[in-house]
Amino acid sequence: MYLYILRGGGFSFGKNLIENNGWLVILKGLEVTLVISFTALLLGTIIGALFCSMHNSRIRILNITAKIVIAFLRGSPVLLLLMIFYYVVFANSRIDAIYIAVIAFSLNSGAHIAEIMRSALSAVDKKQLEAARMLGFSKIGAFMAITLPQAARIAKPVYQSATINLIQWTSVVGYVTITDLTRTVNNIGARTGDPFFALFFGILIYLAISYLVNFLFSFQGKRKLTT
Amino acid sequence: MIRTVNLCKRFGELTVFKDVNIHVQKGECVAVIGPSGTGKSVLFRTLAMLEKPDYGNVLVNGRDITLKDVNINKVRERFGMVYQGFHLFSHLNVLENITLAPLKVKKLGKTEAKNRAKELLSLVGLSDKHSSFPHQLSGGQQQRVAIARSLAMDPDIILFDEPTSALDPSMTGEVLAIIRKLAKSGLTMMISTHEMRFAQDVADRVFFMDEGGVYEEGTADQIFNNPKRERTRMFIRKLKVFSYSIISRGFDMVSMNVQIEMFCQKYNVEFKKINYIQLVLEELIIEVIGSLQKDEQPQIDFSIEFSEERDEIEITFTYRGKEFNPFVINDDEEHLGVILVTGISKSTNYKYVDGFNTININI
Repeated sequence: MYLYILRGGGFSFGKNLIENNGWLVILKGLEVTLVISFTALLLGTIIGALFCSMHNSRIRILNITAKIVIAFLRGSPVLLLLMIFYYVVFANSRIDAIYIAVIAFSLNSGAHIAEIMRSALSAVDKKQLEAARMLGFSKIGAFMAITLPQAARIAKPVYQSATINLIQWTSVVGYVTITDLTRTVNNIGARTGDPFFALFFGILIYLAISYLVNFLFSFQGKRKLTT
Repeated sequence: MIRTVNLCKRFGELTVFKDVNIHVQKGECVAVIGPSGTGKSVLFRTLAMLEKPDYGNVLVNGRDITLKDVNINKVRERFGMVYQGFHLFSHLNVLENITLAPLKVKKLGKTEAKNRAKELLSLVGLSDKHSSFPHQLSGGQQQRVAIARSLAMDPDIILFDEPTSALDPSMTGEVLAIIRKLAKSGLTMMISTHEMRFAQDVADRVFFMDEGGVYEEGTADQIFNNPKRERTRMFIRKLKVFSYSIISRGFDMVSMNVQIEMFCQKYNVEFKKINYIQLVLEELIIEVIGSLQKDEQPQIDFSIEFSEERDEIEITFTYRGKEFNPFVINDDEEHLGVILVTGISKSTNYKYVDGFNTININI
């Protein structure tokens, strides 16, 4: 392998990335991956908050609905969910596949994030909330000032790994005709007949994204501690 | 300042307290004492509407806060609460803990809130800890911050719910010193506590809670030095009581003696004293049964009270029947036992009321 890299490394680089503007294609794929991931993360967080508040609600119907939906979404493979949306639910509509992917990943990550939020909320000391109420805070005011920041801190590491998981899981969107990062490096590798370099390069990009995400999360954490 | 009318709180089947009518005047310091589980905490929580009363009213400055249209958040701004478990905001440092409510609820300016917080921190003796986080402080320090936090809202009354129960003895003092200082400054407060000496010292009035309500109330002097009711007396003097009844001649004296021994050993009564107690009781029982007619069955009740505080044992011995004082010795009979009893006891006392003979003996 070392020999391969030494002898053919530079050659592979040129063949895969420079010829036919390979790097531009990869950049396009990267963009698709990032758009799907971060839109799904954003929507998933909103959906998660919604599911979570439904699950914690005292209204029985909401509570039970949330439980069933969360269990269903968490228990089913995201790829199957995606395929059902693509081939069944939205089969006759002209919605772009990327939007369908965003919907599927939002729902899936939403269910996971709902559970992350719920466990973080239940880990916060409820007596502190009460202490805030005794100081004259309203129910919502106390929640925003006491419970939420503490829950956010507890949830952060799990949320972080959920984010990275989500990004990596989006690599299956190729199944529904979307040309994302994984699909592009696969295509390039197939075309040049040098799949090792292309695929390995793909992994490096995913790795870089993970590092970037971790960096962003740690940056936020540090800032919070200094205030 | 604060008054309750027939306040009652239930948890399902369990009635925590009912018909509680208390009145705390402005500037007064009231101690609430009583055995665990008699509803001291629940009473405080109900006063602050953290628990909804099942019926009855809480009047703050003459206004009924149990009514639906009362903005309870506004009322609670005037209430302070200090918990057994401190419950500081763990994500905020000491200064932020104190300024949070003044900033967000009272809408004070930043510098104003900060200056006030610093003042309060020096009051509780923690000026140098303003940027520490709660988990970096000892229990006593945390509790003092919690006191400063509730003082920051300038409350009309502070409820201290067992403020030192979670602290080890070395830290109790520092917290009690602060509370004492506040009481002297004329702050209205209610303290539920197990620190009897402190309560006696600092409180203007004392509520003793037991049997589902305020069982006895009075000035600190009345409650601690001259309690009127039985349970108060038992609680204040830390009495442990053992009672036993005999209703037949053929009662099981061996089992009785074993029970007495077990009771006494539980409270570390000296071995010699245990022997004395058993001896005295045996002799009295024999005397009383001996005084009965042949076909008569005895009806004897006795209790042994052990005061941990005074290390004293008092036996109350009651039996039904005609007047019969075993200590009055008829000259022609030999009553060695009675002589023995008088020898062992510090004092004896005999009374006859309504067909019941009562003997009190101190050992």
